[in-house]
Amino acid sequence: MNVLEQTWKWFADPASWTGAGGIWSRLVEHLGYSGLVLLIAAVIALPVGVLVGHRRSGGNVVVGVAGALRALPTLGLLTLFALWIGLGLTAPVLALVLLAIAPLLTGAYAGVSAVDPVVVDAARAQGLTEWQILTRVELPVAVPVIFGGIRNATLQVIATVTIMAYIDLGGLGRFLIDGLAVRDYSRMVASMILAAALALVLDAVLAGAQKLLSSPGLSKED
Amino acid sequence: MPETAATAIEFAGVTKRYESAVAVEDLDLAIPAGLITTFVGPSGCGKTTSLRMINRMVEATEGTILIQGEDNRDRPAHELRRSMGYVMQQAGLMPHRTVADNIATVPRLKGASRADGRARALELMDTVGLDRKLAKRYPAQLSGGQAQRVGVARALAADSPILLMDEPFSAVDPVVRTDLQNELVRLHEQLERTIVFVTHDIDEAVALGHRIAVFGEGGRIAQFGTPEEILRAPADDFVASFVGRDRGLRRLTFASGQELPMHPLEGGTASGLERPWAPWELLLDDAARPAGWRFGEREVTGGTLFTPGGSLREALDAVLSSPSGWGVAVDDAGRAAGLIASDDVMAAAGRERRSRYGVGE
Ligand SMILES: Nc1ncnc2c1ncn2[C@@H]1O[C@H](COP(=O)(O)OP(=O)(O)OP(=O)(O)O)[C@@H](O)[C@H]1O
Ligand SMILES: [Mg+2]
Repeated sequence: MNVLEQTWKWFADPASWTGAGGIWSRLVEHLGYSGLVLLIAAVIALPVGVLVGHRRSGGNVVVGVAGALRALPTLGLLTLFALWIGLGLTAPVLALVLLAIAPLLTGAYAGVSAVDPVVVDAARAQGLTEWQILTRVELPVAVPVIFGGIRNATLQVIATVTIMAYIDLGGLGRFLIDGLAVRDYSRMVASMILAAALALVLDAVLAGAQKLLSSPGLSKED
Repeated sequence: MPETAATAIEFAGVTKRYESAVAVEDLDLAIPAGLITTFVGPSGCGKTTSLRMINRMVEATEGTILIQGEDNRDRPAHELRRSMGYVMQQAGLMPHRTVADNIATVPRLKGASRADGRARALELMDTVGLDRKLAKRYPAQLSGGQAQRVGVARALAADSPILLMDEPFSAVDPVVRTDLQNELVRLHEQLERTIVFVTHDIDEAVALGHRIAVFGEGGRIAQFGTPEEILRAPADDFVASFVGRDRGLRRLTFASGQELPMHPLEGGTASGLERPWAPWELLLDDAARPAGWRFGEREVTGGTLFTPGGSLREALDAVLSSPSGWGVAVDDAGRAAGLIASDDVMAAAGRERRSRYGVGE
């Protein structure tokens, strides 16, 4: 039996799905970690990106910070934080938040600053206040680009949350670590398939939300 | 058109200084209410800056601007801006909102309901000559001319007595531009707003303005007056060179062509039995509209047409652009109504000149 057949067999076995270490509970853990990380990162990165975009200055700093964050190896950060803060949820969440900030920040900044300055000028000349310009013009027009950042961050976080298992936390990474420990390659393959499937499903959900929130006037067709 | 009007907007000692340059210097100007005042002048002379200081899109460094007697800094900038329409070169419509929602921006800001805003938008679409079918379209689905009309409708929605326009028609092609200019004049007659219109095109300034402010370098007014005054008696060399070599030609814009003798198409009466334009022959289509000229075997497209109510300048152009040298006059329905002789146009121009200076005849 080759690895793929074994993987299939493992998926087909109802016992793999249920119970404390089963697929369902690992999926829920994985989603929970990812959600927490994305939420924290969004609360930090989106307002900063949006405000810098609105002011149309300081863009270089945003691009620089995002670039620097991208260059950090998440596994290295995790190790560093774990040594520093100790095991537990804080260290990996911190490391992953730093990972997620870059795409969220650049998405929000790029989206808002790309709004045609003529449109913003016209809105101001009609008598919109700065807050109204932000909420009624810049954000609605920037939705597609901001969502691009959110989807990007989500994909990266879903893929990288697997490292939580290194420090004995749950999530889909457990199948990878545990499978490696007993040389059960089929379970490692299963782990990757599950993470990829989860990422695809979430991306589809976010794509749907993006479509709902974007005005039809922003699409390039007709 | 009232000749002496109350002042709608008054600049008193207004200066705008940037770090690098003085854009407007010590500007004093009283813009009459209910008329179209055009700001014209070469690039970079402070027209846009002056216009934008009215609604505080640019804050003056010194001096005051009174709007109907009230300092424009007495209320918050956004309220001031809601009280006057603003149209610029690019329409600047919000891409995520429909045409109707774009037009209803200011009414909605002022608290009108969705339904009221929409109803107002549809009315204004009629006013600016936009098909109501476009109401649900998005800006990306409009032509440049349509977008510009939406911009005008949006500015009118403010229901304010003042309309500020910064080169609103310079980004559309010349044919659409003429349409929009004519419509602005019609709108103005209908709505009687005070319009401040910035352009760097002296022809547009003359065609639209009841008053023209000619700006010189550094935001100084070189001359302020009616178009006729400025064309007839430029205040200095700068204004004379700006209004240009075609000054004499432009002046014919103000002279009516109604008195010109009309030669009937079939010849005879006015011009003897012969058709004096022979061997050229005017061609007509099925609806009796002019369709060019024939010379033997050759058919040539015609020139510009002289329409009812046209000026001497239009008559002159009809004559000069016609292959036969005879200008074609049409009626309101576009049917050929008669022909105009170049000698008659020149004679009329001469009479206009003599009556202007009160000598001769
Ligand atoms: N934000 C600014 N900062 C510095 N200088 C400015 C600024 N805005 C305008 N200026 C300068 O002020 C002067 C007047 O500019 P303005 O835009 O009013 O000219 P304009 O008459 O409208 O020209 P145009 O016909 O080209 O539109 C120019 O020399 C311009 O460079
Ligand atoms: Mg300008």
